[in-house]
Amino acid sequence: MKKTDIRVNINGEWHDLTVTLQDRLIDTLRDQMGLTGTKEGCGEGECGACTINLNGKAVLSCLMLSVQADGAEIQTIEGLQNGLDLHPLQTAFLSESAVQCGYCTPGMIMAGHALIKQDPDPDEKTVKTCLANNLCRCTGYEQPVKAVLKAAREMRRKTND
Amino acid sequence: MTDSYTVVGKSFQRIDGIDKVTGTARYATDLKFENMLYAGLLRSPHAHARVSRIDTSAAQKLPGVKAVATLFDVPKVVQYWFFLRTEKKKEQMFLYDNIVRFIGDPVLAIAATSVDTLKKALSLVSVEYEPLKAIHDPNIALKETEVSIHKKGNIAFKVNKEFGNIQEGFKAADIIVENTYHTSKQKHAGMEPIGTCVASFQSNGRLTVYSSTQLPHWSRHYLAKALDLSLNRVRVIKPFTGGAFGGRCGVIHGLEVMTSYLSRETLRPVKMSFTREEDFSATETRHPMTIRMKTGATKEGIITANEVEILSDTGGYGTHYIGVIADCMSTGIGLYKIPNYSFSGIVVYTNKSMCGAFRGYGNPQMNFAQESQMDIIAREIGMDPMALKLKNYREEGEMDPVLNQRILSNGLEECLTKGARSCGWEEKRSKLPGNDSIKKGIGLSIMLHGTGAARALPDPASATIMINSDGTANLHTAAADEGQGNRTVLAQIAAEILGIEFKDILVSETDTDITPLDCGTHGSRQAYCGGLSVRDAAMDARKKMLAHAGKRLMVTPDQLMIKNGRIFEKTNPENYISIKDLMQKIQIRDMGVCEQIIGSASGIAPAMPGYYGAVFAEVEVNTQTGEVKVIKLTSAYDVGKAINPEMVKGQIVGGGIMGIGYALTEGLQLEDGHILNPNFTDYRLLRSCDIPKIEPIIVESNEPTGPFGAKGIGEGSMVNIASAISNAICHATGVRLTDLCITLEKILQGLKKIKCG
Repeated sequence: MKKTDIRVNINGEWHDLTVTLQDRLIDTLRDQMGLTGTKEGCGEGECGACTINLNGKAVLSCLMLSVQADGAEIQTIEGLQNGLDLHPLQTAFLSESAVQCGYCTPGMIMAGHALIKQDPDPDEKTVKTCLANNLCRCTGYEQPVKAVLKAAREMRRKTND
Repeated sequence: MTDSYTVVGKSFQRIDGIDKVTGTARYATDLKFENMLYAGLLRSPHAHARVSRIDTSAAQKLPGVKAVATLFDVPKVVQYWFFLRTEKKKEQMFLYDNIVRFIGDPVLAIAATSVDTLKKALSLVSVEYEPLKAIHDPNIALKETEVSIHKKGNIAFKVNKEFGNIQEGFKAADIIVENTYHTSKQKHAGMEPIGTCVASFQSNGRLTVYSSTQLPHWSRHYLAKALDLSLNRVRVIKPFTGGAFGGRCGVIHGLEVMTSYLSRETLRPVKMSFTREEDFSATETRHPMTIRMKTGATKEGIITANEVEILSDTGGYGTHYIGVIADCMSTGIGLYKIPNYSFSGIVVYTNKSMCGAFRGYGNPQMNFAQESQMDIIAREIGMDPMALKLKNYREEGEMDPVLNQRILSNGLEECLTKGARSCGWEEKRSKLPGNDSIKKGIGLSIMLHGTGAARALPDPASATIMINSDGTANLHTAAADEGQGNRTVLAQIAAEILGIEFKDILVSETDTDITPLDCGTHGSRQAYCGGLSVRDAAMDARKKMLAHAGKRLMVTPDQLMIKNGRIFEKTNPENYISIKDLMQKIQIRDMGVCEQIIGSASGIAPAMPGYYGAVFAEVEVNTQTGEVKVIKLTSAYDVGKAINPEMVKGQIVGGGIMGIGYALTEGLQLEDGHILNPNFTDYRLLRSCDIPKIEPIIVESNEPTGPFGAKGIGEGSMVNIASAISNAICHATGVRLTDLCITLEKILQGLKKIKCG
């Protein structure tokens, strides 16, 4: 299988990786980099569990080839916290009971992360539309929606401080 | 114990939350070991066929292929754990014989060094099939004599029971309502596909299996039996699990055996994972049922008779098919005190993907039919459905004739009154649908579900607690947490009894080497059955601590209290010793003394208490398009005691959304045994943009046999949603739907029928 070299920034650090042309980004992240926080729920772009941020935007890493990420800045769930300090989204998902089995959680949080970056003050409808790409079978969505809204508020408060 | 709890009844955050929000939680799908092989299954393209020849020579020659296991050389395992003791049924097996019984039925397994090699190897296998006539319709399966899906025929199970005298019951009735209901083939669709495990068999005869099982100890028993190992050689570890809902306590056990077999053949770790399509098409679903129900009532609203006939379709194989149909009976009869009740159930095999346990376990099907019947009767005699329910429900103190136990707690009346008040039931129900094309309606449905299975099955639970020299504790329980949060709830129970802080309890991973026997997570049982064993283990540890404290405080242990990290004399709180101090002394500091305090308990729950719920569903129906919009669910559930209210709410809201899916959007579609919608585009789960407002109401009836009064919630929260929604649609439009799921077409057809008279 033909291999090629790519250079990607993952969670703030540049990596030189050798991948095949067929490698999906999700597999490179999970298998090569050991970043298993990004989950695979369907492999067909329908469930959103594999959502990561690529150049600040939410993308489905199961539908992307690793070569397409050459030169890009990638953020995964592992890159959100700062040492032991959780990101406001992570804190809000905990305090709003937005986590049950947790399998969809990293994808949900990364979807919320890209949204808040683009729209620091989203309304409920915007959050619901954004999270509609992420399936969850446990919570019933109400709490994850609340968590994203709460995190956005918290992040605005921090920026204003 | 006093009423002023310090830990119980408080909404602590889940103990595994940080692992989950940071991505460090490892699920079975995330596991990878040195030298690991990847295993996969070759599946039948035929719904019913005889496998006459399997040629694996080309696959075996492929570099990287390390083991091939066909149906001719695999150990058999009984999938349905009910039969672990009786072992009567041998036909529910993985690669059981040379017949394939549904499209997707496994024919062989291969283990290879990479996923690509595995795929290639599977494509190189040639299998000769002799197609057999396939049966897709359960009614045909019932009558068919020529084609037999299993050796003993197409009927898997039959049950007939009569309570009272059904004919007399109908004679006493003023009205009789008879309908036939059909329910759909719903899929669990937890976000981590079912069917992931990693097995590692070592030369020393030790087998370790990481499996996303709901029943780790039963997994261990199967594996030991199938591979002829002693139990202590088999270690089952349940990592984090991406939702289960009943989907990880049947076919998964066959998978564990297969993966372990491949590991034993190769002496390398082997990982098997199903794709989403395999999850949809070759793991269990909810049993589709045809339910004929004939109900009689007096015009005063006394239900005099109910006659039920169920035909349940378990597909090509069955797991839990007896329990599921038995639950239809026990929940139906248990809920109302109908004096004359006849129940007949038949389970048949068809050449479709198999059915098994699924949140509610037969109850959602039964509840849809029975609660629709109750709504029809209420309308026909001109009575408020809520009044009809209050008149007929089986109250506290009465006997449950199926489970043969007295009802010791029943908060249904409070569920009804609180729910009705909160949603404005009376006003909304008495409103007439206007002339607009959008019609508004409200519907009500109630339910009963059993906690645990102590009246039906061996249902063991155990726990051990070690108190450390700094006053913290390690709790060991095999109460597999699939995301509900039962490990958090159990930690709360332990902390309350030990008088220490919640944060000072650490709950071990679920690992059969460490965590004692527990039959696993099913039947909404962990807060109750798991809770009882943890409570008693904590009491045992506490008793030992008090004995030591008594000696030091110069009083007898019965004069002592334990709270907020201190043990003190009840009448003289100044005479105290901190738990930390005491533990330091008896474990580390004092000469000639060492006692590692270990509390343990095990047993079977004394009862199988029912928990109850009332759901008020508000809908808007567009009579032009047939579209139904659920506006709000007011869901009141009697959980005995909410050990962690936020987690109870999580179950009520999550179950509510799953219930809406069951009512309106979900169901596998089959054509000649092919599943037409094995993906999330065509099988429609609700998404965040679809959700209505759900108002959870917690009612606490205080179950006397439960830990701190607790009983279950997990399954019940989805049981009576579809019936409430259907009743609301009827209130809005006059259309009575009898088939799930309720699609636009069915509503438009119903409206057309009304229009044409």
